[in-house]
Amino acid sequence: QHDQIVSGVDWSKNSNRIVTVSHDRNSYVWSQEATEWVPTLVILRLNRAALCVQWSPKENKFAVGSGAKTVCICYYELENNWWVSKVIRKRHDSSVTSVAWHPNNIFLATASTDGKCRVFSTFIKGVDAKYVVNLPDAPADIKFGEQIMQLDLSFSWAFGLKWSPSGHTLAYVGHNSMIYFVEEVGASPSAQSVAFRDLPLRDILFISERLVIGVGFDCNPMVFAADERGLWGFLRFLEERKTTSSSLPYSSQVLSEKFGKLYGQSKSGLNNESASNAAAHENCITCIVPMKKRESSSEVVTRFFSTSGLDGRIVVWELAEEEE
Amino acid sequence: AEFEEAENAEAIFSRIENKSRKIESLLKQYKPVEALKTALEGSPPQTKDERCKSANWIVVHRAIMAIKDVDSLFSSLDPEYYDVLMKYLYRGLSTGDRPTCDQCLRIHEKLTQRAGLGCILRSLADKVNTV
Repeated sequence: QHDQIVSGVDWSKNSNRIVTVSHDRNSYVWSQEATEWVPTLVILRLNRAALCVQWSPKENKFAVGSGAKTVCICYYELENNWWVSKVIRKRHDSSVTSVAWHPNNIFLATASTDGKCRVFSTFIKGVDAKYVVNLPDAPADIKFGEQIMQLDLSFSWAFGLKWSPSGHTLAYVGHNSMIYFVEEVGASPSAQSVAFRDLPLRDILFISERLVIGVGFDCNPMVFAADERGLWGFLRFLEERKTTSSSLPYSSQVLSEKFGKLYGQSKSGLNNESASNAAAHENCITCIVPMKKRESSSEVVTRFFSTSGLDGRIVVWELAEEEE
Repeated sequence: AEFEEAENAEAIFSRIENKSRKIESLLKQYKPVEALKTALEGSPPQTKDERCKSANWIVVHRAIMAIKDVDSLFSSLDPEYYDVLMKYLYRGLSTGDRPTCDQCLRIHEKLTQRAGLGCILRSLADKVNTV
């Protein structure tokens, strides 16, 4: 159906529909009929590529981030039997790389290559009115397209925006090897900027309220955790990688090889790393999605998740009990 | 992200001059690490004025060149200085001056081991707080 790269895809688990968006500026909603998936075109009214898409928690809307510096909120109009796109045109200074729905189905957070993260209201009378009574401390004017908050934490491109399961925390990454955590978005936001040693991340996943897994250019998922005081920090890499006798972490190993000549030292030939390491991913991991959650009375924890990357691989991970 | 010009150029220049005097005194006392910390404090100056940035660079450069023992530098330099030091190392490497480049490369190797590639990334990605 699409003519160009499919840049985003999301599957709604309750209503069993798949939405795809592409650089061809179109979007399709796919429904399953018997063994076939039947596409329905959605007119987004974009003049640039669509970059990302996500179903809202109630699956009655989906949001599309685009290279036209806009976000399209699409909902289904029963009378006309089609999907309508309402566009948020204001505010973004550059491409919208990532969108994330708050559990309340109204607030949408966006991340952009202008480095900023913003939260908007996507309230649509016909769709959301019946749910609004349940909204905790909702701002008085929740008009569609109103910007609720803007975060200027990053000086470089922002990606990988996600809310924690309760919606209490918002996290995203910058292209400068930083990850940002924002708590209490509605009331009194407080932000933490965590710098880490290694290469930038591209996407993240909340395993639970206090555990986040980030994936990116190191090809090895990183675990971030919040301690009892609520301070976030890097915990460890998920995969065990073999280290050489000089015991440098994986990425520094590669660095030393390449920089060996530059520094005027000659490192003795290191083993063929790809053979001995058997790493799950060999190139940048661009996407991480949850597969199976465990819901207990106290919290929601994701036990299984999968990652995909530029190496063309899809890897399924299971978290051991101790991780949580 | 833009920032307001926090101080005017004169104020910045006089601050840098104060720093320079403090650094000379610390170097006379054989405290090169303290000198470097002093130089890196308040760096880079919050301004778009290139003359201020250059003046600050001269001061930082003096402190960088005075470092003799790179290993001991990192055992006492706080991690909060890593990112800004990395930016100045790249400015040093860009001068092409042989002694400066040798020294910056020596420190760059150890700083990268200590702070990781993320530190290099942050010095490259930040187009706002440039040195």
